[in-house]
Amino acid sequence: MLKISNLHASVEDKKILKGIDLQVNAGEVHAIMGPNGSGKSTLAQVLAGRDAYEVTEGSVEFLGQDLLEMAPEERAREGLFLAFQYPVEIPGVSNAYFLRSAVNAVRKHRGEPELDAIQFGKYIREKMKLLDLDPSLLNRSVNEGFSGGEKKRNEIFHMAVMEPKLCVLDETDSGLDIDALKIVADGVNALRSPDRGILVVTHYQRLLNYIVPDFVHVLVDGRIVKSGDKNLALELEEKGYGWLEAEAAARA
Amino acid sequence: MALALDSRTPFQKLYRFDAGAPWERLRRTAAEFFESVGVPGTKNEEWRFTSLREFAEHEFAPAQPRDWDGRFGSADPIVVQDALRLVVVDGVFRPDASSPDIPAGLTVGSWSQTKDDPAWRRFGSTVQVDRHPFAALNTACFSEPILVHAAPGATIERPIHLAFVSQRSDAASAVFPRVLVVVGENAEVKILETHSGDGTYFTAPVTEVFVDQNGRLEHTKVQQDSLDAFHIGHVRATQEAGSVYASNAVSFGARLSRNDIDIWLGGEHTETWLNGAYMAFGEQLTDNHTRLDHAMPNCHSFQVYKGILGGAGAGVFNGKIYVHPDAQKTDAKQTNKALLLSPQATINTKPQLEIFADDVKCTHGATVGQLEADSLFYLRSRGIGLAEAQAILTYAFLAEVLEKISLEEVRTALERVVFRQVAKVEPMPEE
Ligand SMILES: Nc1ncnc2c1ncn2[C@@H]1O[C@H](COP(=O)(O)OP(=O)(O)OP(=O)(O)O)[C@@H](O)[C@H]1O
Ligand SMILES: [Mg+2]
Repeated sequence: MLKISNLHASVEDKKILKGIDLQVNAGEVHAIMGPNGSGKSTLAQVLAGRDAYEVTEGSVEFLGQDLLEMAPEERAREGLFLAFQYPVEIPGVSNAYFLRSAVNAVRKHRGEPELDAIQFGKYIREKMKLLDLDPSLLNRSVNEGFSGGEKKRNEIFHMAVMEPKLCVLDETDSGLDIDALKIVADGVNALRSPDRGILVVTHYQRLLNYIVPDFVHVLVDGRIVKSGDKNLALELEEKGYGWLEAEAAARA
Repeated sequence: MALALDSRTPFQKLYRFDAGAPWERLRRTAAEFFESVGVPGTKNEEWRFTSLREFAEHEFAPAQPRDWDGRFGSADPIVVQDALRLVVVDGVFRPDASSPDIPAGLTVGSWSQTKDDPAWRRFGSTVQVDRHPFAALNTACFSEPILVHAAPGATIERPIHLAFVSQRSDAASAVFPRVLVVVGENAEVKILETHSGDGTYFTAPVTEVFVDQNGRLEHTKVQQDSLDAFHIGHVRATQEAGSVYASNAVSFGARLSRNDIDIWLGGEHTETWLNGAYMAFGEQLTDNHTRLDHAMPNCHSFQVYKGILGGAGAGVFNGKIYVHPDAQKTDAKQTNKALLLSPQATINTKPQLEIFADDVKCTHGATVGQLEADSLFYLRSRGIGLAEAQAILTYAFLAEVLEKISLEEVRTALERVVFRQVAKVEPMPEE
């Protein structure tokens, strides 16, 4: 469903992604790990269409379409979802209003009738239970004054509501306490399905105990330097990134 | 009665001299002052960014009393179901359209209805006509002032809605709404003042406010005048010790609108809220001038003004905070923010803090800008289209101020106006 080929991206002439190849098929869970500053968030943002990053080379195919040609909203409507590492606060827009606009934009795109406030309320109530979210967060401004953990849970809540085809989670586990981590992982696992792809960016093997990946990739300095199965994450936990960074440097 | 000097202004024929009225002297002084200064030009520092050249080309005739068609002009009417309503159409008070049953502790009505009320003694005593030429003009020209007077200790549950309407007419007309508000000791009142109309006209309203000791007033002024109209208004408020005055100043209409709010804090431990929301699109110009005089110690003021400017719309904000030598422990916060939605839109902002006491906390901040790229991207990454994302964020920007209005029907009506306006805006091209 997602095919990234030789992807290069830079920001203000600084090269960040230096040739990424990655394929995610429906039903698969991929984890991306890597040291700080290696380009994980950049990859996630480029996939979602953030225009601060310039793609200088390579291509990305999403469900048979050229992803890089699409506006951010089109990508979302086609089923790509990014859970932000740093969710944005939007004062003055209620979480509920925001989500309904988002859901209706997707429904409209699919030729489905839009949901009114009542229908929407019914639809999301169950999803809220899933994420054990305080209902008052619905009427508050998007992420404004939310705790770090609430923001992350809210991202997964949005994801559950939007039912995307490809989920990209950027460090959704950081800042979560152990209980919240479990809840978020359950939320993600509930979305696992044979026709959905999931790409998880994380620093911690702990999350992968809950969301068990089919593949683990290590990103170092803008390149995937190693791929493996879930055992690679355990190995990284033990050995750190040093040995891979040294290998990558030797190759460069 | 003729004026004993040569008129330099085209407003001479609008002056009124009702002999025997208690304001006869006030009127004369005001008229003489206005004649001596005339319509201010942009060389006048207070009018630097607001040119009245086009305004001065019009000849405004006195509004002619006519039947009222029941409409509130081109703007959506703001209806507050349980409000006590007073309607003034084309400068004439309409008892027929106004609510009859007035609760105990409250006096409301036109001068002729309320002559005996002692509050009238304060009329005109605080309006500084020499600083506000159009307040001078108003004083020289108003026809029949309106009084709102809450007796000491009275809590008036029903909001009071003063609706000023100008109907379309062949000749551009001028009206001079004049209101006196007295909130007695420990009394509590909510006032909604709306201005709306059709066609080309000029309105120069003056509202003079007194909030006595421990009194509380929420004063929401909504300017939704016709897009061909000129609105040059003044609010003068005086607060006594322990009082709370919340001003919500909303300017959405008029070709040119200017709103000067001067507040004198004459007692300790007062609280003042100055909330402002404005929009200027097309060729509109909206100018907000505020002046807060912290004359006594221990007073707190919070000011937030926000505006959105699109098309060739222009905004002006000038916020003066004057902390007098005695006003120790003053806490004054001022913020003004403007969003520019098009490359032609402009804003001139000028905070002016003049502080003559040493133990005070005064902060001010001004931002002018476009929508935040991070926020826009966040919305779009959830499937919301560029134009809608811009509209939602623009709306939210202003809704933050409108939320301060406690009258829900007013807030909802205004939010709807903003939403409709921003939904029409062409999306800003992305860099
Ligand atoms: N908008 C930007 N402007 C300048 N530099 C940027 C920008 N975005 C990212 N970078 C730089 O690109 C590099 C990669 O950043 P990125 O956020 O993708 O790393 P990351 O792998 O997600 O790191 P972390 O694990 O800390 O989240 C960093 O050196 C970062 O400083
Ligand atoms: Mg990151």
